[in-house]
Amino acid sequence: MARLNPTDIELFERGVLVRLSNVDAGYGAATVLLGVDFEARAGEVALVTGPAAAGKTTLTHVLRLALPPRSGRALIMGADMARTSGRQLAEVKRKIGYVAENPTFIEHWSAFDNISMPLRMVGKKPRQYADDVRELVDFVGIGEAADLPMEKLSGAERRRAAIARALAAKPHLILADDPTAGMSPADGRRVVKLLAEMRRVGAGVVIASQDESLAECAPMDVWRIERGRIARVAAPLEAETQE
Amino acid sequence: MKNALAGVERALFLTLVFAAFAAAAAGLAARAADRVAVHYENERNGYAIVRVLAPEGSAGLMAAEAALAEAPHVVNAARMSANRAAMLLTQWGGAEIGAEDIPALRLIEVEIAAAGPNADAAGDITAALARGGVTAEVIAAPAEIAGGGMAARVRTAALWGAVAFGLVMGIIVSLAARGLAARRRELVTVMCDLGATRSQAAGRIADEAAVMGLYAGLLGGALAGLTGLVVMLLVIPGASAEALPAMILPIDLAPIVAAPLGAAVAAGAGARSAAAYFHAKAARLG
Repeated sequence: MARLNPTDIELFERGVLVRLSNVDAGYGAATVLLGVDFEARAGEVALVTGPAAAGKTTLTHVLRLALPPRSGRALIMGADMARTSGRQLAEVKRKIGYVAENPTFIEHWSAFDNISMPLRMVGKKPRQYADDVRELVDFVGIGEAADLPMEKLSGAERRRAAIARALAAKPHLILADDPTAGMSPADGRRVVKLLAEMRRVGAGVVIASQDESLAECAPMDVWRIERGRIARVAAPLEAETQE
Repeated sequence: MKNALAGVERALFLTLVFAAFAAAAAGLAARAADRVAVHYENERNGYAIVRVLAPEGSAGLMAAEAALAEAPHVVNAARMSANRAAMLLTQWGGAEIGAEDIPALRLIEVEIAAAGPNADAAGDITAALARGGVTAEVIAAPAEIAGGGMAARVRTAALWGAVAFGLVMGIIVSLAARGLAARRRELVTVMCDLGATRSQAAGRIADEAAVMGLYAGLLGGALAGLTGLVVMLLVIPGASAEALPAMILPIDLAPIVAAPLGAAVAAGAGARSAAAYFHAKAARLG
């Protein structure tokens, strides 16, 4: 098992959750990300915008440790992706809450069971997490639907369940890939505000979306990605937000 | 075992039951062949015919019987009557032979006790007869070089045949259990996304498959055992429900005990390898 680099750990302890340096990444023969430099910090929100097929989801895959860079350096919570073993990667993954564009659930389980799965995986008993998960379920607005099997939930409820699951284990880093897809603008903004709230408990939040107007929901670092190249276009301005 | 008897899981469960039944039945059949072979070999080795060459007449037979009473290995000795000879010749030759057609016999049938592999029972009996003043030929079962030893080959073939068949059934169980892992792929993907290691995700699916294999093996083994009992009652002359417990040795139950264990191990291994593959696919895109 490769040891974590002390300098990388120190960077993580200083609040740098993610640092990509000149990263290329892709699938098969296609290279989707080209020379990407990106950073996300604890207690901050980053919005990655860009047109369809620009590389937003691919960037999310790199950040959630599912897609190793072809070149460059990807440092995710102190772990250099190229030098880290499978077991260590799994440990880092447990600190990431991921909301996929099309979230996968255990369809015959209830939403409650799906949401509490990260907690069961770390050995917590139902009596230890039941109240917290109920609170989370109310927080994301699923309510009574939490006790229904996932297959009975609407698209918007599934997305909220995915957000609740991502937040359940109190992750250091929250990645949300197009979290407002299929929602009304009002619902979408509510969801983004909800995700952005997690910065107040010290989590870093990265939201990928085509909708640039989401930047108005909370103070955010705004990045624009186009044809695999990324650039930071705005730093958070607390005063301009509509919280 | 959640939903184990519904939908696809039911089909999978029944496949595992059938494979376990077939493997256990093959094992029981091998045990039956082994016991028949052992019985045949004991019967063959426990029988000999003494042909008295001298003295002639009934004096020779009486002297031989007296010598055989003191001879080693001999459990019982009895002159062969004309009726018995006629019956045996009819049985072996096919054509009806009457006792009146049999000439005066100088044969004694001898029942021999089981001896060690290096014992020469025929030689020892011949020597005992000679010490009693009888010249005789002891005709025992032919040695392996002369056509004997078939039982050993049958036993070996039955054992390895059952083992090979059991392995094939194990492979079938293992492949079928991969289907269970495929049905649980979403669980593996979710676990992977939430930070489960490969062994955690694969272990969970393997545990479920192993439990299903255990239940299927128990059912398949029990069915095979039941079938074996029915066959014994139908095939073995004089077999009855009361006599069966005394006829069955503990080792005969080995295939029934092995069925659930083997099915659990094979199902667990198959599901584990498939789940590990699915985890690897989910963990690394590109």
